[in-house]
Amino acid sequence: MVGKDCVAIASDLRLGTQALGISSNFQRVPVSHFSRVCPSLTICQVFPITDRLYVGLPGLGTDVTTLYERFRYRVNMYTIKEEREIHPETFTHMVSSTLYEHRFGPYFIEPVVAGLSKLPTGGLKPFIAAMDLIGCINFAKDFVVAGTASSKLYGVAEGLWEPDLEPEDLFETISQTLLNAVDRDAFSGWGAVVHVITKDRVISRTLKARMD
Amino acid sequence: MQAQVQRRTFKSGMPPVVDDDDYHCSDAMWGSLAGFGSLVKGVPSFVIPSVPDPAAFLRLHTDDHADPSCKIKIQHGTTTLAFRFQGGVIVAVDSRATAGSYIASGTVKKIIEINPYLLGTMAGGAADCQYWETYLGVHCRLHELRNRERISVSAASKYLSNLVYSYKGMGLSMGTMICGWDKTGPALFYVDSDGTRLKGNIFSVGSGSTFAYGVLDQEYRWDLPDEEAQELARRSIYAAGHRDAFSGNTCNLYQVKEDGWQFIGNYDITKLHYDWAWGGSW
Amino acid sequence: MYRSSGFDFSNSIRNHSLAEKGLPLPKVTSTGTTIVGCVFKDGIILGADTRATEGPIVADKNCEKIHYISESIRCCGAGTAADTEFVTATISSNMDLHALSTGRKPRVVTAMTLLKQHLFRYQGHVGAALVLGGVDVTGPQLFTIHPHGSTDKLPYVTMGSGSLAAMAIFESSWQPNMTREQALQLVTTAISAGIFNDLGSGSNVDACIITATGTEMLRNFVKPNERVEKERKYTFRRGATAWKSESIRKLIVNEQVTPVAGEAMDVS
Repeated sequence: MVGKDCVAIASDLRLGTQALGISSNFQRVPVSHFSRVCPSLTICQVFPITDRLYVGLPGLGTDVTTLYERFRYRVNMYTIKEEREIHPETFTHMVSSTLYEHRFGPYFIEPVVAGLSKLPTGGLKPFIAAMDLIGCINFAKDFVVAGTASSKLYGVAEGLWEPDLEPEDLFETISQTLLNAVDRDAFSGWGAVVHVITKDRVISRTLKARMD
Repeated sequence: MQAQVQRRTFKSGMPPVVDDDDYHCSDAMWGSLAGFGSLVKGVPSFVIPSVPDPAAFLRLHTDDHADPSCKIKIQHGTTTLAFRFQGGVIVAVDSRATAGSYIASGTVKKIIEINPYLLGTMAGGAADCQYWETYLGVHCRLHELRNRERISVSAASKYLSNLVYSYKGMGLSMGTMICGWDKTGPALFYVDSDGTRLKGNIFSVGSGSTFAYGVLDQEYRWDLPDEEAQELARRSIYAAGHRDAFSGNTCNLYQVKEDGWQFIGNYDITKLHYDWAWGGSW
Repeated sequence: MYRSSGFDFSNSIRNHSLAEKGLPLPKVTSTGTTIVGCVFKDGIILGADTRATEGPIVADKNCEKIHYISESIRCCGAGTAADTEFVTATISSNMDLHALSTGRKPRVVTAMTLLKQHLFRYQGHVGAALVLGGVDVTGPQLFTIHPHGSTDKLPYVTMGSGSLAAMAIFESSWQPNMTREQALQLVTTAISAGIFNDLGSGSNVDACIITATGTEMLRNFVKPNERVEKERKYTFRRGATAWKSESIRKLIVNEQVTPVAGEAMDVS
């Protein structure tokens, strides 16, 4: 979600095989162990790419890990070659073309990118984008959603979002949007995490969410 | 007068069973025969789709696991449990209704109060359970009027199982526990739409039943005090609500004692989670 | 790590087995679309609506469907959104290379041929239905390209789910040698017919006027579906959301590099 000189990205923490919830803190467990349980684990995970750029990868657990490692490698190579940080726009196109390479055998991931992009003047501009699983980018000025609860998120976000929210107000709006949408989706929930990215800091909070 | 004419119409060919005084109460008084209009001829009869295999037809349009875009989404995914112990029968259920991945309601009453001494639980098709357990209530009352004593839990559950068995293979979907207190003491029967009827001490039905059994089997004893038995039921439903995506929201708890059932309470599963600080995630 | 160019099919077998196990492929964004093009006195006008859908959901209310090919060639895309986006980008870059190697301004037929050969090669699996228009040395050119690679060359064309609604307008009102204003009005009416009568199309009208003298992109030329302002604000009271833990990462806002005095490193 876009706010006034800030953006926010939020995700739930459930890792599950269909009905069975397995973990509610995916980031801290060795991934290979869970990937062997069942290939159709689904999960959403938010990763930092640069200081002011985050990517959310909702979808199949195994692909979340594969793609994150791929992006990490390519961003590192980019940073070394170009001797500068990658811009959110550039990163989005990198993700998009990586997904489109797999047009006829896609990764089950629908990424969400949120960050602040540097203007030539030195200022920072909020940037958000979402993609479908074959890399069609949706640049939005207000909010983007993805994952199993996306249809529910569209409804709540459409109602709650408004322009020029200050970071603390944006935190409330994105949190309430996520929590209320996720409470109507059987496959999402089990805790949530929100990152609000501003000019001078990133505020990360884990929310008190429904645990059923 | 209109009502009398109608009443005579469907009794034509039969000698009057009741005297004329009875005709003063009209059918309208009962609504549409109290919802059991299909039973006026004595034998239950439902409209069945005119296809060679009605059950296959129903499955084709309701099986959202095989086809997520199926036209009819029947409410299912539940955790219900009941167990017998020294203090009677404890009955506990969750309150979530899902249609596909959508949580359609978080405040469903999955315990059906058949009469002051009988409870039925609801798993599978919500409509099937509600309709047939209410219907069972009608017959339990008729049994009381005919025999001047309450129906036994065993008889009531057998009545239900025989009833659903007559519809076997036609797509009814229910997994229910009939709980009550009769001359023999606390009684608990499991009845499902396949026609299975089992007597037992502990049952759990629904998608979250494995999780509930896990907690229940660990702690269950016959001589549990009432308080501990209720806590055990809450904890079992909590475990299922936490782990199973299709169960959750709140827990409804009842206890059947010698003088009939009692509603113990409604508990928010998330509140239970944070109260106990379980779940390991923080 | 070497990767050959082109599509990567390595997940296909896995995805097939996942589908068999009951994990359905998520929906791709498509543009159930109205796109049109028409010839007028001085050139070409292309038009498009701005709705992108994911099944029954409107995924993007104001997307861009008129893609850049070259300065005086543009292409409207309907169908699978990612395919229209990437196929036009690929052909745009190939046209650039072609222009550089031949030293001539690119022609519309060249783009059309590249597109149809690409689409034919993929036998309709690259789901792009295109309206290609532009002005080159041979004059104004307008084509449609179907997902399987067939093409048409007509004075007025429509594509996408709203093509019938738009074509109805063209069939009744198009005339040869229209003025710029007349043609722009006609294209707007045709796209509006799609927006209002086809459920897959919606939101705003984009138009692009290409003449020998230049290209004019009219993004959101008409906005007949602007959302009315909310009558109430729905901001939550600060502190409404309960949270369990917080971590704040302070970022560097300004950094000043002061060169430390000393001898410069010898790099000779």
